[in-house]
Amino acid sequence: MTLGSGDQMEQTKINATQLFVLVVLFEMGSAILVGLGTNAKQDAWLAILLGLVGGLLVFLVYYRLYLYYQDLPFTSYVQKIVGKWMGRLIGLMYVVYFMYCAARVLRDFGELLLSTIYTNTPLIVINCLMMLTIIYATYKGLEVFARVGELYFLVVYLIAVAGFILILASGLIHISNLKPILENGIMPVVKTALGETLNFPFGEMVVFTMILPHLNESKKVKLVCLSGIALSGINIVITTIVNITALGTDLFERANFPLLSTISKIQLANFIERLDVLFMLYLVVGGFFKITIFFYAAVTGAGDIFKMKSQRKLGFPIGVIVLFASVTIASNYAEHIKEGLDIVPLYLHWPFQIIIPSLLLVIAFFRNRKKNPRSSKEMNKDV
Amino acid sequence: MLILSKILKTKRKKRQDDNIRQKLDPNLPKDLPILRSSQDNIVRLKEELGKSSDVVIREFKGSNYQGALVFIDGLVDNKVIMDFLLEPLIDTKPLPERVDIFQYLKEHAVAAGSISTIENWNQIYDNLFSGNTVIFIDGYNKAISAETKGWEKRSISNPTTQLSIRGPQDAFTETLRTNTALIRRRIKSPNLWIETMKIGKVSQTDTAILYIKGIANEKIVEEVRKRLNRINIDELLESGYIEQLIEDQSWTTFPTTYHTERPDVVVSQLVEGRVAIVVDGSPFVITAPAIFIQFFQAPDDYYSRFDISTGIRLLRIIAFLIALIGPSTYIAATTFHQEMIPTTLVIAIAAQRENVPFPAFVEALIMEVTFEILREAGLRLPRTVGQAVSIVGALVIGQAAVQAGIVSPIMVIVVSITAIANFSTPVFAMAIAARLLRFVLMGLATILGFYGMMLGLMFMSIHLCSIRSFGVPYMMPLAPFNIRNQQDVFVRFPIWQFTNRPPFISKGNIARIGQNQKPGPPDPHDDRSKGEKS
Amino acid sequence: MRKGLIFVSSIVIMIPFLTACWNQKELTDLAFVMAMGVDKGKEKKFEVSFQIVNPGNVAPGQIGGGQGLPIAVYKSTGDTLTEAARAATKKVSRRLYYAHTNLVIISDDVAKKDLLLLLDAMDRDPEFRTTTELIIAKGKTRAEDLVSALTILDKLPVNKITKEIQSTEKMLGENMSINIDDFITNLISKGREPILNGYKVVGKIDKVNQAVNLKKTTTDAYLAADGLAVFKDGKLRGWINNNNARGVLWILNKVEGTGINLTWKDMKNAISIALIRSKTKVSAQFKGGKPMINVKIENEGWVSEVNTAIDLTNPKEIEKIESILMEETKKQILTSVKKAQKLKVDIFGFGEKIHLENPKRWKMLQKNWDEEFSKLQVNVEVESYIRREGIRTKPFWSEFSK
Repeated sequence: MTLGSGDQMEQTKINATQLFVLVVLFEMGSAILVGLGTNAKQDAWLAILLGLVGGLLVFLVYYRLYLYYQDLPFTSYVQKIVGKWMGRLIGLMYVVYFMYCAARVLRDFGELLLSTIYTNTPLIVINCLMMLTIIYATYKGLEVFARVGELYFLVVYLIAVAGFILILASGLIHISNLKPILENGIMPVVKTALGETLNFPFGEMVVFTMILPHLNESKKVKLVCLSGIALSGINIVITTIVNITALGTDLFERANFPLLSTISKIQLANFIERLDVLFMLYLVVGGFFKITIFFYAAVTGAGDIFKMKSQRKLGFPIGVIVLFASVTIASNYAEHIKEGLDIVPLYLHWPFQIIIPSLLLVIAFFRNRKKNPRSSKEMNKDV
Repeated sequence: MLILSKILKTKRKKRQDDNIRQKLDPNLPKDLPILRSSQDNIVRLKEELGKSSDVVIREFKGSNYQGALVFIDGLVDNKVIMDFLLEPLIDTKPLPERVDIFQYLKEHAVAAGSISTIENWNQIYDNLFSGNTVIFIDGYNKAISAETKGWEKRSISNPTTQLSIRGPQDAFTETLRTNTALIRRRIKSPNLWIETMKIGKVSQTDTAILYIKGIANEKIVEEVRKRLNRINIDELLESGYIEQLIEDQSWTTFPTTYHTERPDVVVSQLVEGRVAIVVDGSPFVITAPAIFIQFFQAPDDYYSRFDISTGIRLLRIIAFLIALIGPSTYIAATTFHQEMIPTTLVIAIAAQRENVPFPAFVEALIMEVTFEILREAGLRLPRTVGQAVSIVGALVIGQAAVQAGIVSPIMVIVVSITAIANFSTPVFAMAIAARLLRFVLMGLATILGFYGMMLGLMFMSIHLCSIRSFGVPYMMPLAPFNIRNQQDVFVRFPIWQFTNRPPFISKGNIARIGQNQKPGPPDPHDDRSKGEKS
Repeated sequence: MRKGLIFVSSIVIMIPFLTACWNQKELTDLAFVMAMGVDKGKEKKFEVSFQIVNPGNVAPGQIGGGQGLPIAVYKSTGDTLTEAARAATKKVSRRLYYAHTNLVIISDDVAKKDLLLLLDAMDRDPEFRTTTELIIAKGKTRAEDLVSALTILDKLPVNKITKEIQSTEKMLGENMSINIDDFITNLISKGREPILNGYKVVGKIDKVNQAVNLKKTTTDAYLAADGLAVFKDGKLRGWINNNNARGVLWILNKVEGTGINLTWKDMKNAISIALIRSKTKVSAQFKGGKPMINVKIENEGWVSEVNTAIDLTNPKEIEKIESILMEETKKQILTSVKKAQKLKVDIFGFGEKIHLENPKRWKMLQKNWDEEFSKLQVNVEVESYIRREGIRTKPFWSEFSK
């Protein structure tokens, strides 16, 4: 316990439970809302499972990098691996990448509210209010929003269980909708997994390279993160199965937000119906944590690269950039989704999530083997 | 702002003459010795006290000594002074020879329970104003102080703000000593330590810090001590002053220290490792550190069985949520999310609202504000008028308002439920936080419906998670979450499950209850019960 | 700190002024559209009638309420549904609000031609519930007549239809609740064709929307369900009448409870059985390269009426009744299947079953499924159980006829 209310960004430490909660909330964040892997039709859940396995492997790359530099965030150790200037350049690219991701999720989130309930409200207003909340959370620091995460983790699970029971009770589940499994062979599933579900949401764990140094029990990183990814992956799979079985493959493909369609089908006792609000409740919570973590990574990354003493001051300017980016990255929803499905995974997610970290790991491996053979031995023991 | 305060400061400085400054500022080293001649002492006293009428100076003469007896009328027990001080002192029996008169009188003549020798001038005032009698003996530059406290005080009565059905029915009073006695009577352990200090430049109020040595976290005790010593204020009329001067965060509507008028509550918190602050003149005792969930724990919870108290506690938390989001939910549902209300109900509400000229927000605001005014007025009014107000109030927020077409009946229901729910929070300080935030949420619901409300609640949770009370995170066993400390949060576990004191408050992780405390029927294999049977 | 405070408070103060109205809608500014009827228009393609509820006249205990009519009907025309809906605002003082629309009625002639042009608007609009019931106005009855009808028992006429369908589904098994979502899902599915409930006005059609009609205990005109409309390629193909409707629902596993009359020793309608539970399983099978459908039904019920002398205390007799019930059920189902096969419309979803059973074969069958369906072999297997016979054992007939 520390006395006094010092919530300095650099010194904050979070515990294993908090990290676990953040991982789960982050991974589930927007992945549960949008139709994931719809290209694989009724086998979407298989594609997600495949993506999950890939995501776990990719995380091991980040974990190995973490083991080399346990006290440093990504933007710092990249400078040690490839040299100061090159490292700074890569770090800066990552900051921009995190900002772009934050803006994308914010846009997803705003579009969802706009196309369902707030049809006449300007996008910027919805996003602006969300961004204000996020800036406030980031201002308060990682420790505080990790705690908020713990509170809402319970809330999210309660909502999820309640929603699941209601869906079951309304008799919406038709298991036959999942059949026939692998109708068109395994290829569409693999394609969807590699091009979509691996990067989103599982590959996005790359953002945690900025957060891992804040954990106070470094030995638990592997266990906590892997189980967090696995749990959230399983939750997403369950949600997808519920969506497919309730909506049928066809509607699942056509719906912008399958979960919303599923929930609005709930009809029970002539009284419980139109529970879109339940969905919105989850939406705000999930969206909040996902954007906040991206945003936090961008802010601390920028502060780290430019050696700013008070990173709190960066929150507001970067927030404004993210806010305006979220409104301007696409002129309509179709464009936004098209970018997200075709361009972003190939040109952004793959390089930033998989290629660059793998290259860094290779370089770091050779560097550290020369310098300090003992630590790499230790590392091997750990892995 | 700054310039203005500077001017005020300099002016204030000029107005104070040396004499007063010396008394008001304890930091000044200028302390006078007591004079040898009691006559001189009396003159100086009269001068410094400005001939205050309640100061009684009784000069006396013994066989071969003379002196004066000084006390404050009203603070002392006159009978004690008459019988045990004055009478032996004016006894004209000659003293034995070759004896130190001062020492002899102190040991033989003054028959009070607690006496002490005063060596310097400022101590005289301390003693006088706390009800002691000061005795000057001519020829000595010291004085005797005898305890003669005995002012009029309120006797111990029932608690008036924190009621309970089962449990002790005594409450703190305005007297510090009575209050500490009420606590000491319940903890008969030498480890209950009471530290006393005087706070307030003018009022010199006695303030006591209570904690149990070995259970309380020393860091927190030290922090409390530090924060109390920091206080530099003229007067201290109520523990509320201290509360506002020592809290971690002032920009919050949530209380970060707990206050109660029930000794049993203070005792239970001391035993958990908290620190209590008792202020003379206030029947409310502060305890710290305070955590969020603590404000939903009523003393009854621990006196009745766990299943019942768990149910009631959950009810209380739900009531708090209703009080917080009731009217805003109504506004959001009827102005943004009509689709979520069942068809028949939405038509019924629409029919009721048909004749109401205001938008839902204004309607809700009118009713809520009216109710708040009524509640406030009801609190301040003399008891005899209260009856009339409640009748008028019932008319205003009841049938008449509906018939006049100002509000809809459903709004009356919403407001009433909110108001009643608000009263079920055991601690007023927490209830009033919900009362205030309710209006903020109503505004947000008007702007953006449930989305606005959700963001408001999100802001609130971030804020709640960021505040601390004496270094302890406010949302403690929930966030940071700790599975082993959930015995007393939403569910109150059976008493025999309360294995540890809350480690985030008390020092170390000390077992609280012995092994195998779970009660049950007599064990048939137990020898004793066998013996009883046969 | 101070700067931040000023910033936040200025935002908080500004927001209410900026909001204008956006999505805020006061209840008193809304016109709740309870039902929507689409007829063929004269100049424009559609003539849409909106049934709008008058809340003051529906909710009880209101000052000055309860006297007038509970609903008002407005009509407008348009080539698309959106055009008609927007045109209607010229006639209604309030914003038309569709989130509580429970019923959409399509007239016979629109269903035969342009039904598909209506669906997307209802499917896409976030305000519109996809759980809205869809029905067809049968024969001479126009959709407008059904929308503007007044009913005695239900204050909201729309409830009369939606609740009636639900209770029929539970008690009789001749109509089932079908919403827009179900309809579209079946429409797209290759191996299943949609059906809809038919409704009509019985009696004098021109009186159905008059309050005078409500002043009598035996009304001059009332609404009644009538048969199931069968669709093919999104167009109304034909009708399955009430007698055969139960068979269809049986295969779709929608029959919960119903009453069946049985013949006993050449005496028609001698026994009535009230079914309380019924479960259907449909499976596909390939026999000699030809698809085959097996329908397996389990019935459970009790004897609700006996009009001849039967000793119900004798388990043997009960067994006999059970076997008669099986035959009767089987007969009814097979008649329905034949009827559908005659129309060449697979309303039972047999194609879907075959798809699941053997996707490869299905690809071949799919092209010519209508013909295949009409020749499809359907086996029905029924198991019936009669559990009890009310609170009497022997009927009074057994003494009386002696």
